[in-house]
Amino acid sequence: MKNILDRNSNRAEENRKILRDNGVLMVNIISSPGAGKTTLLERTCEALSGRLRLAVIEGDVTTDRDAQRLKKFDIPIVAINTEGGCHLDSHSISKAMENLDLATTDIIFVENVGNLICPAEFDLGESFKLAVVSVPEGDDKPSKYPLLFSEAGAVILNKTDLLPYTNFNTGAFMSDLRAINPGLRVIRTAVSKGEGVAEWLSWLESRLHDISAG
Amino acid sequence: MHELKIAEELSAIVTATAENAGLKKVDRVNICFGQFVQIVPAIFEAAFREAVRESVAEKAALSIEIIPAELRCQSCGSLFIPDDNRNGCRTCGSQEINVVHGKELFIKSIEGD
Repeated sequence: MKNILDRNSNRAEENRKILRDNGVLMVNIISSPGAGKTTLLERTCEALSGRLRLAVIEGDVTTDRDAQRLKKFDIPIVAINTEGGCHLDSHSISKAMENLDLATTDIIFVENVGNLICPAEFDLGESFKLAVVSVPEGDDKPSKYPLLFSEAGAVILNKTDLLPYTNFNTGAFMSDLRAINPGLRVIRTAVSKGEGVAEWLSWLESRLHDISAG
Repeated sequence: MHELKIAEELSAIVTATAENAGLKKVDRVNICFGQFVQIVPAIFEAAFREAVRESVAEKAALSIEIIPAELRCQSCGSLFIPDDNRNGCRTCGSQEINVVHGKELFIKSIEGD
């Protein structure tokens, strides 16, 4: 029996080793289009870029608009235009990593292509996957796309300021998540208003501390 | 459309394996997908036909076996099949559960001459 995605998995393991050797945390951010990945990155860079050495790998299908939004932070940004492709893979990440100075980097954020299905199948070599779900998408996302939530290291439930205007059932959402991945950390945010961002940053910094502690 | 990328990886492995084994044509490729793998068989079949075009596997039949999901409770060790309507272990109710089967993405065998 041979794993069909062996080539991707092997390269992902190589990426993981290079990141570990350089003490770099890589966060693979996966969500539907419009859940708030880029806004989350903007707030995160705003808060951390003075203290930590950040870099971003941007996966975009046709444009470089997301990369443009992050230019103001004066951090290294590598844009991967997938030319229609629905996900990033470990080979494209490996090439992007060659354009970054890993020895002087603490955290690399990978903004994957907006899609809950395809990116979940491809290990990039990341330290953990961060799933971002927003309230208007509905509470059924974990049960409909279980692979992503079973592989995720944390979930951000974003746009919670819209809860009063939707039929989103937080209890059902949490219960579905627990069935798929019982120990999963869930952080509730309204990123555009800054709510919950401090909790996300403190959780992120503790992950960075974990890898530096080795 | 991650099916196309996975089909291309499959085609590359099949072509290399056929070459190493000295096969002139591949008649059948048998693969297994776990129940949790989000691949639509009909789309994968179409993607496979594209991926093997003009290769030794151009006329190969594709057989897809779906492996049912099976979970193991980390607390009591019992094995069970997931149920949409019930969370946790069927025996002790624990929420600490590992996936034993369901995430497979394997080539079982390649037939040819």
